[in-house]
Amino acid sequence: MTYPVSLQDLIEEFQSVEDKRERLEMLFELAEEVVELPQDQWNDNTRVKGCQSEAHVQIIIKEGRIQFLSSADARMVQGLMGILTIALDGLTPAQAVLIPPSFAEEMGLLNTLTPSRSNGFRNMYDKVMAELRQNGAD
Amino acid sequence: MLRDQFPILQRKVNGHPLVYLDNAATTQKPQVVLDAMNDYYSKSNANVHRAVHTLAGEATEGYESCRNKLKQRYNAERAILTSGTTEAINLVAHAWGRANLTAGDVVVLTEMEHHSDIVPWQMLAEERGVELRYVPVTENFTLDMEAFDYALDGAALVCVVHTSNVLGVRNPLEEIIAKSRVVGARVLVDAAQGLPHATIDFQALGADFMAFSAHKMCGPTGIGALLVTQESFDEMEPFMGGGDMIETVTVDGSTYQTNEHKFEAGTPRIAEAIGWNAALEWMESFDLESEHARLIGIASWVAEQLRGLGIDVYGRHGEQDAAVVSFLHPTINSEDIAHLLDARGFAVRTGHHCAQPLLHRLGISGTVRASFYVYNTRDEAEAFVEEMRTIVEKFA
Repeated sequence: MTYPVSLQDLIEEFQSVEDKRERLEMLFELAEEVVELPQDQWNDNTRVKGCQSEAHVQIIIKEGRIQFLSSADARMVQGLMGILTIALDGLTPAQAVLIPPSFAEEMGLLNTLTPSRSNGFRNMYDKVMAELRQNGAD
Repeated sequence: MLRDQFPILQRKVNGHPLVYLDNAATTQKPQVVLDAMNDYYSKSNANVHRAVHTLAGEATEGYESCRNKLKQRYNAERAILTSGTTEAINLVAHAWGRANLTAGDVVVLTEMEHHSDIVPWQMLAEERGVELRYVPVTENFTLDMEAFDYALDGAALVCVVHTSNVLGVRNPLEEIIAKSRVVGARVLVDAAQGLPHATIDFQALGADFMAFSAHKMCGPTGIGALLVTQESFDEMEPFMGGGDMIETVTVDGSTYQTNEHKFEAGTPRIAEAIGWNAALEWMESFDLESEHARLIGIASWVAEQLRGLGIDVYGRHGEQDAAVVSFLHPTINSEDIAHLLDARGFAVRTGHHCAQPLLHRLGISGTVRASFYVYNTRDEAEAFVEEMRTIVEKFA
């Protein structure tokens, strides 16, 4: 599978770092990439279920391109959202649904996260992809 | 050195020496416990009680030795072996509660209880119409004893946690039990966090039931006990039916054992009982009281240092409290703190610690919890504080 260039670069960057703490700190920095979903727009439809912390996502399609809005209380989750922002923003839904979830594993993120947290990440990925499909990506 | 007896403490986590500070969740096991369980499976594995062959005799002796050790160590008339504290409390709710409580009877709980000492009573309340009254927690992290006095009026049973798993606060059990006696209420003590830190004389304490787990005191997971007075034991009806708990079975009905086996249907946790017995014997190799004094000294020092870093600490860390430090940073998320600590080898817990009513009363949804046990050192506590300082300086 070939990933979008921006995501491929991130994968390689994470792979080059062995220290877990450094990987976490890189993840924390990616929180800056998040386009914030304001709290007054949080609802049951935006909530990522199965996440240990409060996490909300929303997909907006503007002129055929994805805009990914998200918000979470934990910086680590915000970092994961930052990765999805980099991966998805500006793609068409049809392009985005081709991105498999394996990028998280390739980045070594699943080693950084405990099983319950990586399930939370997978739930977030699945929710986003399901919404994209509803938006006619198939 | 005591610490050297724990093989797991030699390992590294994420390239750093493991500093295990999640002891209120479960403790590590010394080599003697691992050896005892391995020996049982290697040399004596058999089912207990019925068979007459040598292995069955050894297995039975090993299993019953655990019960005898518990009775002797904690001075109890009856010790029913369960899967842990949760099953022990559920056993009281089913075996004693359903036999003795009816609609309108009052069960007093506290907001400091673990979910395992709340949910079984809520289930009973729903089924039987029993009234539940909750004693609130004050801003000083103690039970509101005036409210307790009020709640006690007409109570049939009082359920109280010995030591809070979130705050480490040890409750005034002597006062609670004495007052409960006056109104004729039975008392159940959840000692899951208390017994690892103190050797309690059950009969002198005067409670009717005491529930606890092996794994929080260096024994295996999957086993715990309910200590019961003979008087309350006699009022309990069987909960689970099956093998080992019967005297005779015919197609017309069954008669039951009259000892603890009556409440231990099915093949019990034999290896776990043998492992727990080894842990209890091992705990006699040092002075728990002085170890506890050392640990509360460490916990109180850590609490003070964290407060100095602008962190909110919940608990009072008095002499009788457990060495538990629950805290929240005003801006750094608890999960983030736990992940950052884990990356440097520190194991702590985050979340609601199965005590949501308590956290609701405190106005928070969770904490980071560092809990210390007998193998933890002052050096580890200092390293933990230093790591917290680094995290606060970098991420606040």
